[in-house]
Amino acid sequence: MVYRQIPLNLQLRAEATFDNFVSAGNESLLHTLCNSDERYIYLWGGDACGKTHLLQALCHQASQLNKTAAYIPLCDDDISEPDILTGLETLDLVCIDDLHIIAAQPQWEIALFNLFNRVREKGGRLFITARVAPNKTQIQLADLVSRLNWGVVFQIINLPEQDKIEVLQLRATQLGLELTNEVAEYLLKRSPRDMANLFSLLGKLDTASLTEQRRLTIPFVRQYL
Amino acid sequence: MSQTLWERCIDRLESELSQQQFSTWIRPLQVVEEGDAIRLLAPNRFVLDRINDKYMARIHELMADVSECSPRISVEIGSSQKPELPSPPPSVIPAATRSISSNSQQPARSSSLNPSYTFDNFVEGKSNQLGKAASQQVGENPGTAYNPLFIYGGVGLGKTHLMHAVGNMIRQTKPNAQVVYLHSERFVADMVKALQRNAINEFKAYYRSVDALLIDDIQFFAKKERSQEEFFHTFNALLEGEQQVILTCDRYPKEVDGLEERLKSRFGWGLTVAIEPPELETRVAILIKKAHQSGVNLPQEVAFFIAQRIRSNIRELEGALRRVMANAQFTGRPITIDFAKEALRDLLSLQDKLVTIENIQKTVAEYYKIRVADLLSKRRNRSIARPRQMAMKLCKELTNHSLPEIGDAFGGRDHTTVIHAVKKIIELKETEYKIGEDHANLLRTLST
Repeated sequence: MVYRQIPLNLQLRAEATFDNFVSAGNESLLHTLCNSDERYIYLWGGDACGKTHLLQALCHQASQLNKTAAYIPLCDDDISEPDILTGLETLDLVCIDDLHIIAAQPQWEIALFNLFNRVREKGGRLFITARVAPNKTQIQLADLVSRLNWGVVFQIINLPEQDKIEVLQLRATQLGLELTNEVAEYLLKRSPRDMANLFSLLGKLDTASLTEQRRLTIPFVRQYL
Repeated sequence: MSQTLWERCIDRLESELSQQQFSTWIRPLQVVEEGDAIRLLAPNRFVLDRINDKYMARIHELMADVSECSPRISVEIGSSQKPELPSPPPSVIPAATRSISSNSQQPARSSSLNPSYTFDNFVEGKSNQLGKAASQQVGENPGTAYNPLFIYGGVGLGKTHLMHAVGNMIRQTKPNAQVVYLHSERFVADMVKALQRNAINEFKAYYRSVDALLIDDIQFFAKKERSQEEFFHTFNALLEGEQQVILTCDRYPKEVDGLEERLKSRFGWGLTVAIEPPELETRVAILIKKAHQSGVNLPQEVAFFIAQRIRSNIRELEGALRRVMANAQFTGRPITIDFAKEALRDLLSLQDKLVTIENIQKTVAEYYKIRVADLLSKRRNRSIARPRQMAMKLCKELTNHSLPEIGDAFGGRDHTTVIHAVKKIIELKETEYKIGEDHANLLRTLST
């Protein structure tokens, strides 16, 4: 019988920060997020283009500056009621992820509209992401749509292939893994190429590499694709 | 010291939870130290319940680990920020004791007025000059000029700006005047809270004691009978006391569904003014003024370029300008038309996509509740011909298609038919209010 070592559940956390966001094509956006004092910014882009990463990075940055923050992922099953938005205006920063999910749900739309007004009144900061531009969200409440358009709206540009390799390598380094160009290119050719899938795959490879005490080589990763 | 303990505790917690869990449930907590006790304040019940159910036990364990004295920890709904008026604890409000006169020696309460909205920075144009003039009159003679002042118009056209400007003007001339601005949803929420706390009398006294009550977006009162009832009495009391009431709404009062007739009729007692979408020159002036306020010199041709493409409302216009300025700040490049095109490329392509002949035909047909096929047909009765003329006028106005192309798209008509249609609608807009309104509504729908 062959015994495999089970790794301790103490893996390095790959935290989303501005430092590990590869900004190719999104330099202006990143500069504005990091440096400007805009009170409201709306970010949109397709799946796995980095929306969640940027919001998490904003929350992380806020905590480092001793500011209060909340991250509200609307796609999360735990976030089931608009009441989650109550009282958030008392925080310094509110980040709403995946706004399009609640489009055409009147109670959510009103709750978000009220939050928008309250945050503005209190002078807090609000960052919203969605898969589509503000005018395309299918939000029915015109008052909310016009507010969504009020601030700086940025489209997050998807990373070109070469930059995806760079991002994967950066993430691998954070996890304590060595990912060569050759292996990274191999992964990109043979698995779904959105960053969420690639990150999840890298997580699996990290566990496997610890369990089997192997480095990431093409023959090794081939087994897991 | 306890703060340090808490920080050590959440550092540990952060390493145990996913980043998402931590940011959603732990980061929003605010901390208050009271001796050897730590109070965690959750923004709402939802977060409170989650902390109690999933994280409190672990927080206790970690606290015991990082401290020797094991502070008492509790969690409740609240905020460490001081509460602001107008939502004062009803118990502190002296019921019906206030002098109505603005010469009252009582200190003015916080009013939620935004001091940056003034008449000076309100850009006037044909679309809003009546609204501005009326508002200024009210600012100069509150309670007597026009009461109530009812401002209505589509979203993002400057109603709220005017309302605040009146409030600020009143406060400027009478610093002790109690001017309260709030959104109608806030009025409803305050009322519900007051009912829950059995403090409705204090609630009534508070709102009836102000010198000017400014309520935004009263269409949100629709179908909320209890709030309407309460507001009706407050409204009457204020009018009787010659205290100023200013209301805004997204449509003409009589057109708000779900609003009691008696309220609708009372709203018309004072002056009702409409704010229309700003015309091109006003949009340009707004852009230049806003840019100037931000210390940016926006060339006129760029302002024209943006204003020609973004026509729906001022919020969107401001959003586009902010984006151009953010890009300019980052790149350090001068703002030119090409630069603006680049910065707004996705926004402009969305706008372009929306305004096609087909889209205009579809929107007009839906608006008049006819079929697109009717618009393209040979039928000439007025119920079809008028919408067809309106659609042709909008095609001329909003697209770059030639007149023969437009005629062709309407069932192969001649370009002279298009010219006639455009002329006809321009004439009718002057003489028939309904046509003007239809045109404005359609323009708004197509550009939003």
